[in-house]
Amino acid sequence: MSFNVLIVDDSNSMRAVIKKIITISGFQMDKCLEAANGREAMEKLADNWVDVIVSDINMSEVNGLELLDQLSRNEMLREIPVIMITTEGSEERMKEAFARGAKGFIKKPFLPEEIKKVLYQVIGVGQDGQYEEDSRSSDELDF
Amino acid sequence: MDNMKKTQEVLMNSIFEVFEKMFFVFLEPVDEDIRYDMVASIQFKGPRKGLIRAYISRPIASVMVENMLGLDPKEVTDKTMEDCAKESLNMIAGSFLNKLDSKKVYDLSIPTYEKKSGKFSKSADATMALCFDSDGQQMGIEMMVEQ
Repeated sequence: MSFNVLIVDDSNSMRAVIKKIITISGFQMDKCLEAANGREAMEKLADNWVDVIVSDINMSEVNGLELLDQLSRNEMLREIPVIMITTEGSEERMKEAFARGAKGFIKKPFLPEEIKKVLYQVIGVGQDGQYEEDSRSSDELDF
Repeated sequence: MDNMKKTQEVLMNSIFEVFEKMFFVFLEPVDEDIRYDMVASIQFKGPRKGLIRAYISRPIASVMVENMLGLDPKEVTDKTMEDCAKESLNMIAGSFLNKLDSKKVYDLSIPTYEKKSGKFSKSADATMALCFDSDGQQMGIEMMVEQ
């Protein structure tokens, strides 16, 4: 199983680094789309299916937090998990991002392993790319 | 330890962290004035308001791009150096403010960039200035905080 990833960052270099790290980490990436801000991200999402979004916060036009708001208002897009990769790492800013729908948070500067770990956690697959099995017995399941 | 000394130590640790983790560049603090070929600036606003500037020499900027993106020196362009200079400052500012007090929220501006050469010396209104050397190439950081 492979996944389509959208990387949103106003720095070309940072997008290239994140893409490279995801590629060499062994994460099973199919298509990698890129956008320089939230507005461009929404345009890409209008034409492409994406499994996970990796986004910066501090960007011009539409920033990362505003992108989270736009995604949560869109029925088709609100379930796509978003990981924030940002320099803005205060506790309040993290809480704000999670409250607005982010599923993961990575502070820049980061180590390659951090990206891989959070990607797998957020998508809910093991490091082998397979969905992790529910370890609960059938009696414990919700229905 | 007085506040200024502590703040300077936190800023220096943030600079080391960013350069080592993201650019694989190892810096040594130096006292003397340095030469630069580009200047990146970023403003921060929150409990305190201020500005951080990075004065970077072309050889260091080139090594940053080469190491970060895995490029040959010939592939490095002015645009990629500008991008790396701005991004490095963005990370230094974010890391510094977070290390100073992770409970306080600061807003960072979009970094700006200017291609200009000169000899760096601490501005009259700078709160602190730090100079570094890496394999004979130099860079400097200065910070202004509104009192």
